[in-house]
This record gives sequence, C-alpha cells and structure tokens, in this order.
Amino acid sequence: MQDNITKLFKAIADPTRRDIFHALVIATSALSITQISNQFSMTRQGVTKHIKILNDAGLVKMNDQGRNRFCYANPKPLKEINKWMQFYSQFWDESLDNLDNYLNTKKDA
Amino acid sequence: MNKTITKEKVFNHPIEQIWNAITKAEEISTWFIQADFKAEVGFNYTFKSEPNEKGCTTISGTVKEANPYKLVYTWVVADTKVETTVTWKLETQGNSTKLILEHSGIENYTGETAIVMFESFNGGWDNCINGLTTFLKEVVNAR
Repeated sequence: MQDNITKLFKAIADPTRRDIFHALVIATSALSITQISNQFSMTRQGVTKHIKILNDAGLVKMNDQGRNRFCYANPKPLKEINKWMQFYSQFWDESLDNLDNYLNTKKDA
Repeated sequence: MNKTITKEKVFNHPIEQIWNAITKAEEISTWFIQADFKAEVGFNYTFKSEPNEKGCTTISGTVKEANPYKLVYTWVVADTKVETTVTWKLETQGNSTKLILEHSGIENYTGETAIVMFESFNGGWDNCINGLTTFLKEVVNAR
C-alpha cells in the first residue's frame, strides 16, 4: 500500500502531470495521446511518459480503440491520500521498531 | 477500508519494562518524541521534538485511560483540530510481551486537513524522527 501512495505523490508532484490530469478530468470524453500532445505542445513521447506515470498511480485509465489509445481520468486514488492510513501505518511500524531498539539497548546497558 | 490501524508486536522484554517505556515521559522522550506526559486520566500531554530549522510537529491530547496495562489517549496533530485516539495494550505471553497498538478516528482527516497534515509532517515529523534515530545511534556508539 505504501508503494501505491508513493506512486501517487510522485505522479502529482510534477506540475505538467497535474495539468494533464486536470485536462482529462474536465474533458467531456476520453482524449487520445495525439489530442493531449496538441493541447500541451508536447511530443507524443513526452505525453506517453507522463501518462505512463499517471497510469501506474491509477490516476489515468487507458482504452485502446483501433490504433488510437484513449486516456481518461480516474480521480478515485486521490481519496486514498486523504485517509492517511498508509502514512500512519508506516509511522507506527517505524515507531514500534524504535521502541524495540530502545528496549534492546537498555537491556545491554 | 478499515478506519482503525492495528499493530501487534511481540517484545522479548518483561511487561513492566514496556509499560514504563510507553508511560514515563523521560523514556518516551528517548525512543519516541520529546514528551510532557503523565499516565494519569485527564492529563493534557504534549509531544514535541527538539526544534530544527524546519520546525517540528506538535502532538497533543488528553489521557483517557491509564491502568496497567492499557493506555488510551487522544492524538491531535499540530493545528488540525482533528481528534484521533491511540490505544496501547500489553499482554504477557510466556516470557515475552505482546503489544497491541490501535489508532482510530483516522477517517476524520479529510480535504484541507490532510494538506495541513502532509505539510506539517513533511516538514517536521520525518526530520525529527530521523534526527532522533541519528541521536540514539550516536549515543549508543559513544558508549
């Protein structure tokens, strides 16, 4: 789960990816890679790279129609960020490890 | 999704030793975070790390239950005003002690609170915890 949240943060940390994601959220229909490249004056390769990262984070889904690949937004994973479960889960794991180290050190002293 | 985080860990230490580690201010301050804490019902505690250039997160709350071997306190991060609850339970298991930690109420963090939390933790907490770990390593190595 921690990996997913890290992917999510990495995906939205980049302003261009946030813009692409936003464009897909407000689009009335799925957009092709070509449409996105035109809108952002970017190469298809550049767009494909960003889309792949957004896709890995679960924020963009893809749909192949013939030779065209269409992308649409999936904002659902963003809700996960708000819950902070993964964050706290890791926090407590680390804290209990610290407690264990502390107890072991004390024992040796 | 479950709204309570539960962690279980078995320690090869007597129950009393772990109880002291989680209830005595000077011990909490050593392994966890700088604490002004008393295991007395109604005590308003604060957890605060040594300040650094980025500042540190403050945790505050009230002790709700403190009977050996169960400790319950509320947990409020910085200025979020969102109350969550942390429960520590200890059980003897042969020569070991089982610790059960529950953190509930996390669903109360929503929207903007999450952003405040993230910024607060991002700037402070990680650094403080890392700082503490480094400090402990240095102290141990110096012996």
